[in-house]
Amino acid sequence: MISIKNLNKAFRTELIETQALRDIHLNVSEGEFVALTGPSGSGKSTLLNILGTLESFDSGEYLLDGQAVQGLTDRALSALRNEKIGFIFQSFNLIKDFSIYDNIELPLRYRGFSSAERKQRVEQALERVGLAGRRSYLPGQLSGGQQQRVAIARALAGSPRILLADEPTGNLDSLMARQVMELLEQLNREGCTILMVTHDPEQARRAGRHVQIVDGMLSEATVYQPLAVNQ
Amino acid sequence: MQNFSYYLRLSLHNIKRAPLPYALTLMILSIGLGVFFSNATLYYWMNRDPLSEQSHMLFFPRINAVEQACDSCLTPLRVLSYKDVQKLSSSAIPSAQAGMFQSGGYARVPNTQNGPTPVTIRVTQRDFFTLFNAPFLHGQTWADNEARMELILHYNAALKFFGRTDVLGQQLLLDGELYTIVGVLENWQMLPKLYDVNNGLAITPVEEIYLPWETAYNLGIKSNSTTQSRDSRNYNENFAVNGREGEFYQAQFWVRLDTPAQQAAYRQFMDNLVASEKEAGRHPRPNGNLLHNMLDIAEAFNERNRQLDAFAMVSVLFLLVCLFNASHLSLNRYMASQFEFSLRRALGASRLQLQGQLLTDVLVNGVLAFILALLFAVLMLLLINQLLPATSALNNWQPGLILLMFGVALLASYLVTVYPAWRASYSPLNQQLKA
Ligand SMILES: Nc1ncnc2c1ncn2[C@@H]1O[C@H](COP(=O)(O)OP(=O)(O)O)[C@@H](O)[C@H]1O
Ligand SMILES: [Mg+2]
Repeated sequence: MISIKNLNKAFRTELIETQALRDIHLNVSEGEFVALTGPSGSGKSTLLNILGTLESFDSGEYLLDGQAVQGLTDRALSALRNEKIGFIFQSFNLIKDFSIYDNIELPLRYRGFSSAERKQRVEQALERVGLAGRRSYLPGQLSGGQQQRVAIARALAGSPRILLADEPTGNLDSLMARQVMELLEQLNREGCTILMVTHDPEQARRAGRHVQIVDGMLSEATVYQPLAVNQ
Repeated sequence: MQNFSYYLRLSLHNIKRAPLPYALTLMILSIGLGVFFSNATLYYWMNRDPLSEQSHMLFFPRINAVEQACDSCLTPLRVLSYKDVQKLSSSAIPSAQAGMFQSGGYARVPNTQNGPTPVTIRVTQRDFFTLFNAPFLHGQTWADNEARMELILHYNAALKFFGRTDVLGQQLLLDGELYTIVGVLENWQMLPKLYDVNNGLAITPVEEIYLPWETAYNLGIKSNSTTQSRDSRNYNENFAVNGREGEFYQAQFWVRLDTPAQQAAYRQFMDNLVASEKEAGRHPRPNGNLLHNMLDIAEAFNERNRQLDAFAMVSVLFLLVCLFNASHLSLNRYMASQFEFSLRRALGASRLQLQGQLLTDVLVNGVLAFILALLFAVLMLLLINQLLPATSALNNWQPGLILLMFGVALLASYLVTVYPAWRASYSPLNQQLKA
């Protein structure tokens, strides 16, 4: 599904150059649930943005579904984002003066679906996240957890193959975080590949796989071993 | 196309989000455009060809017939004498020709209580109305170029004096002389009034009353604009003789020469005329013959309206300043919506699709600015009408001009939208989406 080799990324400003990612290797197979952890500023978001083609990289190789991403036209990249990838952000990124319905419908608008198909997909996604009754609410009228579920519905509506979630529960209290987490796990069980940045070790443990970034370098985290084994 | 209605909805939604800054942007844009439009309208009317079907056949001949010898005087006077008109009229080549000058007087309807009212007069000959396509509502032009106490009224003058237009056979008292009305023109105007550019390309209406040429000379009616006398006769006395025989220059003369062959023949006629005059010892100055086409007449008389050119320049500069300001305001608007831009990009909108959105913004802004600007332009033109009489024609816009102005509005809206939007859409995507 995702195959990254020798990927490097640096941010250059007039004064400083930050090497955000160094020589990254990462393979993610279809249906995996990967948790990405690491200290703040270690390059997690940068990696996720590159995976989501929101950000370019300096060197290396990135194959998505066997297709090289580098060199694709803007049109092809947009289509790829639109059809294969669903984004979930820490800060939800809903449009405040759009209804829940219009927010979820937004990516579908750029895909050329008929209005009937859009409607069906939005309704389904709303159903899926348990917010069918709130379609005409504004984001501000919902709790944080509900807003994040709207964002997930928006990501889901286009039936993406991959969900990229950058600290999706970072702004939520633990109860809401658990609900969101359960939703993601359920989606994963239904076949969706998920890459999720998180600070929560509990969440990382529950994911099928856990990778760590430190200083822009990626490593597979040691599998959690219960103490009992050593005794 | 199905996206267009979505883009349109978003454009309107965007306006509703920040109505005040938007209104300000739109206001600045449409004031700039309105000033530009009203100037463009003036400019258009004053630079257009008022007789496109025949202007290429209308010519103004000038001969260097002043009777004092002067070898270095190569250019004829701007006005012609009675004798010049008579000599030039002797050619059979033109299909129409008329001498003319502008005058003024006081007129009133006899046997009424109404006092005399000032009127503008054109003294001219039979073919005037053919030359310049002045259509008759009632009656017709004089049967020939002889003197007769008959006048032709402009539509507006008929209404002014009689309150109606079917006044053939009625009488009018003009400076103490009684005339019979033999024709009433339609509500005709000629802008610019190229048959008389002696006083510059002013925005003046066509004259209210048309008098026969010979009658005017009989009665001593003279031009009230450019006149020149080059001898010692007293032109306030016995004008019927002095005006005809003396060196009193006051007239324009127009001929219609239908084909290039006729134009060449007419030039030849003028040269022959000067040659035979010289033989008779009457044309001491060099041959300075000129034959101006109607469309070159303003340039030839150096009467292009430079003020109008200056106004046009200023209005363009003003428009640029407005564009600059509107663009600045618009930049703020787009910067505020940068987040949404980035979000849409992240969710899969291509640059092309976002450009579609922007072009829809351009269209919406263009249409709104256009409508507002037309309103401003109408107000400006009303003001101009107050200051300059006779601009009534300026109030009706030709479809071509409207289309052109709409194009300018769209272009202006494009300029105001594109730079800010470009700035906004090329910001790093991920920056905007972070918490
Ligand atoms: N647009 C940018 N310009 C310059 N530096 C950036 C930019 N985005 C991220 N960085 C830097 O790259 C490094 C990695 O950032 P990021 O991927 O956001 O870290 P994380 O998500 O792990 O906290 C940080 O040092 C950050 O300052
Ligand atoms: Mg981050």
